[in-house]
Amino acid sequence: MRLQLSSLPRAVARALAFAMVSLASAEASAQVVVFDTAHTLWHEAPTRTNMTVYTPGVAVSATPAPWITVRGSWEADVVSGASVATKAGPAYQATNPGVDVVTTASVKDFRQAPSGTLTLRKGDVTYTASYTYGTEHDYRSNSLFVGARTDVFSHNTQFDLSFARNWDKVCDRIQGQTDRPPRYRALEDSTGCFTGDAPARTRRDLAIDGLQATWSQSWTPVFATQLTYTAQILDGFQSNPYRSVILGQGVKAQEHHPENRTRQSLTARANLYVRPLKLAVRLSGRAYRDTWQIASGTGELEVERYLFEGFRISARGRYYRQSGTIFWSDDYTGGDPPLGPKGQYWTGDRELSPFSSLGLGFRATYAIAPARPIWIISAVKASLSGDAVQFDYDEYTLGGTPITNARAYMLGANLSLSF
Amino acid sequence: MTRNPSSRVFVLAVVLLGAAEAACTTVKPAQRALLADPIMQFEGDPQASAQYRHAIDNREGSYGGGGVSGGGCGCN
Repeated sequence: MRLQLSSLPRAVARALAFAMVSLASAEASAQVVVFDTAHTLWHEAPTRTNMTVYTPGVAVSATPAPWITVRGSWEADVVSGASVATKAGPAYQATNPGVDVVTTASVKDFRQAPSGTLTLRKGDVTYTASYTYGTEHDYRSNSLFVGARTDVFSHNTQFDLSFARNWDKVCDRIQGQTDRPPRYRALEDSTGCFTGDAPARTRRDLAIDGLQATWSQSWTPVFATQLTYTAQILDGFQSNPYRSVILGQGVKAQEHHPENRTRQSLTARANLYVRPLKLAVRLSGRAYRDTWQIASGTGELEVERYLFEGFRISARGRYYRQSGTIFWSDDYTGGDPPLGPKGQYWTGDRELSPFSSLGLGFRATYAIAPARPIWIISAVKASLSGDAVQFDYDEYTLGGTPITNARAYMLGANLSLSF
Repeated sequence: MTRNPSSRVFVLAVVLLGAAEAACTTVKPAQRALLADPIMQFEGDPQASAQYRHAIDNREGSYGGGGVSGGGCGCN
């Protein structure tokens, strides 16, 4: 891992520098190469756990001819913190007073995902294909994406259709041959995953198929809408292999989720420019439902305006509300409803419990495109953003202790250079 | 999860009527200055937007509306 951490960014930087210099010096149109780098920092520290994720990303796209764009990108997640290793609820805590029935474990991971994309244009149709290879200590992902987009009705209407297929593998612990899920033990750590160093490790498959169709429409010179339908089918191991759930007195089992899940969502967006205020208003709503019986709704509002030429600032708000999955229980050992066992599956995942969240954020962007290039740079765009999200869990507790301070903070920075 | 077939027909009819209406919409190229401005784009900064969605999607039980790409979670 040290080798990957230290050598990959240098190798990527060398490749990017070579690509920029060689393509920028090529005889071509005004904007041949675009270099993008984006960085996001996520931090949350609710009761007993914490998580910090730094996500750097870099991308270079080159358009040597109007009909073709080639893009290479690299993104990573540097993860550190502490998460719940054994989840128990209030009934179990009440029957075991004086004992801490919830345990936590430190988490360190490094995900990286290099990706290559090819875009071809013919007339009003654009075809895109990309491949992404993602690696974590305990996860491998091969993702293939294909999409097509067409402009019709004098470029006032766009239709997008895309499909993605993932062939993923998740590290898990080898279980006893005669054991059933209530006796499965959680993975202790990622040591030996995908390296063959530890004999008690195995790989579980996860296949993901995603389909998305989008209709974008310009209705007036200041009003546009977008309607997006997304479907996803997951088939394979979807539990957190490290997390255990208390199922009964002294019975602790690895989290056990169904292996099949179908998810659908419909998203409507509207962009309106309010001339008297010189303000762009973006409104978005999403309805979601899946076969684990999670239903959710999302509403987003963002307003943005120029303060002076090239500099714009936006403020955004986001409200999200979801129901819990059908097999969610805060305590599978019993107690008054909604506690108690929920059939053959169990989870300790707070993201599968009923909750709502409210996010507020801002973004400042400065973009300049001078009439004459500065050195070889024809345009620059830089932006900074900040967000705070408050999560309110209806039922999720740690041994009966509600999580009232689940607040996450996000900082983002983005730089884009065109050559 | 079962949905009344008539509601599907209704949704399909709305989409088709919208598409038919769209064919009559005429925003001329000279009128597209504001629509082409970054301030009116649905995906103004694709890479930054993707990172934001990646962070949020991994903390919620739902998904969709922002692309169908994968590549792992990095969350635990």
